[in-house]
Amino acid sequence: MSPLKKIGSVKELEKLIGRLAEERKARKGRTIVVPGGTCGNARGAEIILQAVKDGVEKAGLKDVEIRATGCIGYCSQEPMLLILPERTLYPNLDPKRVEDIIERTVKRGEVIEELLWKDGGSGKPISILEEIPYYSKQERIITGNTENVDPGSIEDYLSIGGYGAFLNALKMTPEEVIEEVKKAGLRGRGGAGFSTGTKWGFARSAGGDTKYIICNGDEGDPGAFMDRSLLEGNPHSVLEGVLIGAHAIGANKGYLYIRKEYPLAVRTVRRALEQMDEMGLIGRNILGSGMDFDLEIYEGAGAFVCGEETALMASIEGRAGEPRPRPPYPAQSGLWGKPTNINNVKSWANVTLIMNRGADWYSSVGTENSTGTMLFSLVGKCVNSGLVEVPMGITLREMIFDIGGGIADGNEFKAVQTGGPSGGCIPESLLDLKIDYDSLTKAGAMMGSGGMIVMDNRTCMVDVARYFVKFLMDESCGKCTPCREGLVQMNIILGRVTRGEARDGDLGLLEELAGVMKDTSLCALGQTAPNPILTTLRYFREEFEAHIRDKRCPAHVCKALTSYSIDVEKCIRCTLCATKCPTGAISGSSKNPHVIDQEACVKCGMCHDVCKFDAVEVE
Amino acid sequence: MNDESIDVAEGPSKKGSVMVIGGGISGIQSSLDLADSGFKVYLVDSGTSIGGTMTQLDKTFPTNDCAMCILAPKLVYTGRHPNIQLMTASEVKKLEGEPGDFTVTVIKKARSVDVELCTGCGDCVVHCPVRYVPQLPEEKDVRKEMREDDIRKVEEVLSRHSSDSSSLVPVLEDLNEEFNHLPEMVLRCVSQLMEVPLSQVYNVATFFTAFTLTPRGKHTIKVCLGTACHVRGAPRVLDEVKLQLGIEPGETTEDGMFTLETVNCLGTCALGPVVVLDEEYHMVTPGKFGDLIENFKTGVAEPIPKPEGAIE
Repeated sequence: MSPLKKIGSVKELEKLIGRLAEERKARKGRTIVVPGGTCGNARGAEIILQAVKDGVEKAGLKDVEIRATGCIGYCSQEPMLLILPERTLYPNLDPKRVEDIIERTVKRGEVIEELLWKDGGSGKPISILEEIPYYSKQERIITGNTENVDPGSIEDYLSIGGYGAFLNALKMTPEEVIEEVKKAGLRGRGGAGFSTGTKWGFARSAGGDTKYIICNGDEGDPGAFMDRSLLEGNPHSVLEGVLIGAHAIGANKGYLYIRKEYPLAVRTVRRALEQMDEMGLIGRNILGSGMDFDLEIYEGAGAFVCGEETALMASIEGRAGEPRPRPPYPAQSGLWGKPTNINNVKSWANVTLIMNRGADWYSSVGTENSTGTMLFSLVGKCVNSGLVEVPMGITLREMIFDIGGGIADGNEFKAVQTGGPSGGCIPESLLDLKIDYDSLTKAGAMMGSGGMIVMDNRTCMVDVARYFVKFLMDESCGKCTPCREGLVQMNIILGRVTRGEARDGDLGLLEELAGVMKDTSLCALGQTAPNPILTTLRYFREEFEAHIRDKRCPAHVCKALTSYSIDVEKCIRCTLCATKCPTGAISGSSKNPHVIDQEACVKCGMCHDVCKFDAVEVE
Repeated sequence: MNDESIDVAEGPSKKGSVMVIGGGISGIQSSLDLADSGFKVYLVDSGTSIGGTMTQLDKTFPTNDCAMCILAPKLVYTGRHPNIQLMTASEVKKLEGEPGDFTVTVIKKARSVDVELCTGCGDCVVHCPVRYVPQLPEEKDVRKEMREDDIRKVEEVLSRHSSDSSSLVPVLEDLNEEFNHLPEMVLRCVSQLMEVPLSQVYNVATFFTAFTLTPRGKHTIKVCLGTACHVRGAPRVLDEVKLQLGIEPGETTEDGMFTLETVNCLGTCALGPVVVLDEEYHMVTPGKFGDLIENFKTGVAEPIPKPEGAIE
């Protein structure tokens, strides 16, 4: 890549964008997109990429572009190849078949039917990405460019009109930009859903020369990876949003707070920042506009509570990430006591979109009170999992059954968990609920940052509730008593329930504790901590009662209430279970029937999983 | 409260007196309770005033109440209480006798101020030509006790960051990587060189999960316990790992090879359950960890398991 040149004026950047776009248009050959990202690489995308490079070289193809991109969302079908401009998708790919694809699809334009995605029921192959059911209901206005840009190249981003939104913003006064974002109806994508434009207005009108901007990429919610995908796939779309925000608010310094658990995202953003610096998009007198703005990465050191804005700021200041009471809000007194504006990674990407295509267009997507699209990570027990972008207002049923392809392994749907540890579990009866901020809150869950975990009938809801309590107990910073002590007590009570030792009135006690924590905790972590318990109690009370009254775990998850035994009639004495048992609790040989020693059994369920004859019974 | 206790004190019911040694918050509260129930209390403190450490605190843990707001009224009650005799600038020299019948010898240091007449205006302090300079014990330079290349490592890391306290977390992140954990000496050294109180360094080092104060193994095994991994069997995988390695999360195997950690979400939920061996991500369904660790130990280069249902 040629070294990047410093750009001194708005005109110069406009010219460069124009030239790069022309060049892109003029390109004739096909493009082979290899989607990577942390998840793609874990499934072998790097091997595929190498195979593609070797194959193209071997075939001597000159006009073919190989583009290693971030994750394009369909994680459960990785590794994959996408051939542009036809948009042919080859999912779940064996590296050995890459050569074939290069020969037939890239060179000759054929579609290799046996490698295509096939409908589970009818077996009908579909070649075009957008026609695959996983994608057909999505509206990828934020993630859609992932396949079009190499995240390591700012020129790629410029060639699709990147930083045009920033130029649009520079032509407007800060007040006009804020008005535009307000008009678009953008609500904070971190979870609480506060109006982004209004928040900017507060920071703008706060006094003082020094103001800060923070991009919150501390995506600690378990089961959520939207921020990671965005930062890995199209970092400049987020950084451009931050620049626009800096212009609107009048900030001179920005921090990108990214979790240490996302090493690839940190590397990608670091590279993007270097490129911005080389081109003069950050630093002093940006594009000759007189705007000074510095941007740096701050790696979060692994604390869930640091996603909370005051805790996040405390950790940037070099202290332990403990929240403090609000007000004063960060817009008045934030980082080092200066006015600070914090938005989520996804919110910043949305800002870029709004300044690119206008508030009127943006507000036409989604519902009246929740505009735009929302990114979800659809994971758990559904057939398809990955990153999903849907317009607000889509129903949960469409999300799980049309996009997610229903429940895997022929099991039944039980619940979907949204909003991470602050959210709740939504039962089947509410599947036709529209996904937007207000309906989810009404159901007792919350939008959260967008993790959506699908659970089937083999998931125990008491165990899930206890999982979240344990998670939060670990992550509670310990500053305020209701959260610190309340969670410990909840864990003790739920522990009793899972062991079948619960007492009368334990459920009532849980509800009482939940109420106190909600009312008295210092920050959002403690205030929303009871949500997973309250929603599971509300919708799955009979499951709690089965544990307490019948001493039975209907999903066979709670170990103390589960026992394994071998049906002598069905057992063919294959000894497979005995060899797989980690504690040697299964005795028997090819002649004798197998028996599980209940004392030695650790209830790992391995025998049940490996038995091909259904001979291991769970009680 | 005080009015009542005067009544009690004047009545004949309670006999004997109590000496409370130490005029901190607990000494003050004990004295007040005893005095209220009618005992004559001698409150002894070696300092020139009572109040102790709490006078120096801004807030009290964990409720964040204002420390002075709690303490100040108690100081006043103690000073005014007819049943309490304050003995400041005094030290207990000798204790004789048995429970119920003690004789205490107290040395009262010279104060050169008539406490009865003093109004606490502070003018004498302002006008005294001799200044009181606090003599703190001289802090030892920890670098004298450290190995030279360790010092160099710390200094090298510090030179990469700005010197103010805001870079404490990134500095510790780098040092944690450099030393494989955060040894006590390194924390002390950081505190001195960055001029950040050791308490703050320790607070940060123990708050974030990225830091560890105990030495780690050569390889790190991280088991993801995110929600998606959880519902897909991560607890079973963790049990298996614990059984195979014989250690609990946070511990290191005896041979120093593996450290087991749990992590709350790696953001690769579509692959769950996920186990990360050093930097490599692995999809490990229950029952598969044994193969993974065996392959890893024997050095078989098979880092990435093939996705299920891959087209052969």
